[in-house]
Amino acid sequence: MTTKLFAIVFGVGLLLPAVPVWAHHAFAAEFDQNKPLKLRGTVTKWEVTNPHCWIHIDVKDGDGKVATWMIEGGSPNSLYRLGFTKDSLMPGTEILVDGYQAKDGSNRAVGKNLTLPDGRRLFMGGSAPGGGEAK
Amino acid sequence: MSHRYFDFESTAAAAAIGMVVLLAAPHAAGQALTPAAKTAKTAKAWTPPHTADGQPDLQGVWTNNTVTPLTRPKGLAGKEFYSEAELTEAVQKERARLSKNEEEGRPTEPGTEDDVHYDFSQFGLDRGQAKLAWNRRTSIIVGAEGTIPPLTPEARKRRADRAAKAKGHEFDGPEDRPLGARCLARANVGPPLLPSAYNSNLQIVQGAGYVAIEAEMIHDVRIIPTDGRPHLAKTIRQWMGDSVGHWEGNTLVVDTTNFTDLNPFEDAQNLHVVERLTRVDPDTILYQFTVEDPGMWTKPWSGELPITKIDGQLYEYACHEANYGLANTLSGARKAEEEAAKKSKEGNKR
Repeated sequence: MTTKLFAIVFGVGLLLPAVPVWAHHAFAAEFDQNKPLKLRGTVTKWEVTNPHCWIHIDVKDGDGKVATWMIEGGSPNSLYRLGFTKDSLMPGTEILVDGYQAKDGSNRAVGKNLTLPDGRRLFMGGSAPGGGEAK
Repeated sequence: MSHRYFDFESTAAAAAIGMVVLLAAPHAAGQALTPAAKTAKTAKAWTPPHTADGQPDLQGVWTNNTVTPLTRPKGLAGKEFYSEAELTEAVQKERARLSKNEEEGRPTEPGTEDDVHYDFSQFGLDRGQAKLAWNRRTSIIVGAEGTIPPLTPEARKRRADRAAKAKGHEFDGPEDRPLGARCLARANVGPPLLPSAYNSNLQIVQGAGYVAIEAEMIHDVRIIPTDGRPHLAKTIRQWMGDSVGHWEGNTLVVDTTNFTDLNPFEDAQNLHVVERLTRVDPDTILYQFTVEDPGMWTKPWSGELPITKIDGQLYEYACHEANYGLANTLSGARKAEEEAAKKSKEGNKR
């Protein structure tokens, strides 16, 4: 096998992680790819529930009117392994949400990227083991 | 079942002398086993611990997380194993990819279907962020082909009929959604146990005459009696089938029948799965399986992968508790129908 072919095959064959093969549900059926949004809000509640956690935030518009949004995030099981607990995201925390709105037009969205106002990503544990040793 | 389709004898022999040796010893079902002289060098006598009642001890928390795909990628036909050098290169590439994604996020094109998802690396959902057992196999399925055999003509017909019946009704109601989205069953729990994209963790607990295997995602426990009892009556069908086990030396052999035709392989009506679990060192169980259903596939197929010990415990996966996803999917579909009806009404007016 040539080196080039090897590189291609490894790129698409072995390295599965980039593709959510067995994700819990079809996100594109739930959220609208034509409705990207950016929200800045204050956390009021964090539902640490399977299969996905949901972060409730209050978002103020230009007139000071407050709307409550629910943001879908990843599985709490994985977050626990990154070192997060139910106390890690306290009400009152300000977050920025980059995501897509629900297809039904309600105030629900998938949180593609969640960051703190200082730019740090919300759930990067910094303790990711980075895979096991080669055997 | 007959073992003629899977080189159980040779794989068990290899397993007994350790995972490293096994992985370095390419062999396909039906092919000659690696010469003993080659394997003897690294062979170490390792006796697995036993439970109080004398069973080989498989207990603990494990992961079957892997980056090895179930079926062999195109272009690797006939190549069952990577070389050491190829594996090293793959490990390096995988680590580079992971740190880049952690830094910059998952690379997807904004406004595409693929982008409508939370970032995997941010939530610790990337396979590479969890412990995984690297191995040199190019696919979990063993043998020269490394693929699931073709469907039989009658299975193709069953599948086509089912698809035709479902077409246009995929979002009608909860019953039309996949079993996983409804929190009922997940195909990766099988049996056979296959890796899940994340939370691919297992716990094994043993009691006198029983072995229980729990899969974290989505909480299912398979309780396997090892007291020699027969399978349930054929008329009783279960999501994960009916498993009975026995010990062959240090290997737990589990035989499963009585599946529904919905899980883990839709349209398989007489599914029969045989699994072999052998603890080959303190941190590794060699997991091997053979799947057969003569009415479904033209021949049986077999696979194997290492299961690795991890720290900690399983976390609760109460899947249905907050399954907003199902409701959101259906309400999204209703909204789409509403808009389509409005458009067609407007079209009629013109």
